[in-house]
Amino acid sequence: MKLYLREAVRKYRWQFSGMVAWLIQRVTGLLLLFYLFLHVETISKLSQGPVAFDQAVGTFNSPLFKLLEIALLGTVVLHAFNGVRITLVDLGIGVEKQRHLFWYVAVGIGLLVFLAGAIPMFLFAVLRV
Amino acid sequence: MFVELNITLRVSRHPARNGKAFDEYRVQLEERMSVLDALFRVQREQDSSLGFRCSCRVGMCGTCAVYVNRVPRLACSTLVRSLECDVLTIEPLPHYPIVKDVAVSLQPFFEQWRRAKPAFRPRKPEARDLARIPKDSKYRRLTPTKRDCITCGACFAACSIVGMNDHYLGPAAINKAFLRVLDPRDAAREERVKVLDRSLDGVWRCHTQFNCTAVCPRHIDLTDSIVRIKRALFWPGRLLKP
Repeated sequence: MKLYLREAVRKYRWQFSGMVAWLIQRVTGLLLLFYLFLHVETISKLSQGPVAFDQAVGTFNSPLFKLLEIALLGTVVLHAFNGVRITLVDLGIGVEKQRHLFWYVAVGIGLLVFLAGAIPMFLFAVLRV
Repeated sequence: MFVELNITLRVSRHPARNGKAFDEYRVQLEERMSVLDALFRVQREQDSSLGFRCSCRVGMCGTCAVYVNRVPRLACSTLVRSLECDVLTIEPLPHYPIVKDVAVSLQPFFEQWRRAKPAFRPRKPEARDLARIPKDSKYRRLTPTKRDCITCGACFAACSIVGMNDHYLGPAAINKAFLRVLDPRDAAREERVKVLDRSLDGVWRCHTQFNCTAVCPRHIDLTDSIVRIKRALFWPGRLLKP
């Protein structure tokens, strides 16, 4: 299995971009769903008063949660940019260029946007320079 | 320069022999030899019981499609050298019943193919003159790249939706129906659209993974046909005009 995976990544990455993009969209979608539950749970603490809410928000101030926030940014960016690609393909725009759309737009530009957000977050929230 | 390739062929055996699902053969091949040549070499020199299918040997009939290193390919058109590996794993195409070793029955593929009503039904069966299709018509512009299907079944094997849903039409059948739906001479458009529009086994099952397009040996953009049909079903007035 390992051999197949390694070979698939090495040789078929480009050929099966559509499948890779689909998998990424599903996985990031599930991660965002998990985040949504966590978010709603935290917001719902408001109904228990300001102290309970402050306590809940306080847990997210640790460096570990700041790192997870950076990961969340990456997940959102990838899901959003790939979502744009899927919408374009469904509209019939760039169907034959879907590989380029995925690697250059969703992954490439997505990575730049991610870095633009992740570097300040890491410097000021995790390292607190 | 004459180059020789020393390859290990791992071939799936069905029914399994001596409890082994795969048999291994060492073969010496010449540079320009295909996967089909390798299978023939094994069959002639090492194991005459090896079963596989082939017919034209030039990539026209689609009979020899097999699963090579987990990718559906035509054995006759795939050069061993192009795979860049020393061990070739050859298995029968997934999603099909196995007949023997790597030979499969294409029955599920053709069942769906039949459901898509692939035969042309003329709008004017009594007409004696040739129907003229304008050069700038949508049919003329789109079809040259989509008519080349050789019904090898590779797309059906690569489609993960087919793997989960036995009743899904599959990319080749949808592409065929797409060609007929677009054909201004065809009279059975509504019947085909009904089959394509079914929510559980029609075009709406496609998740736009592009696996069918990636493996098609004729380089047909099958996903494009599916996406076009989806849009046509969404805006019938715009795209399904005769």
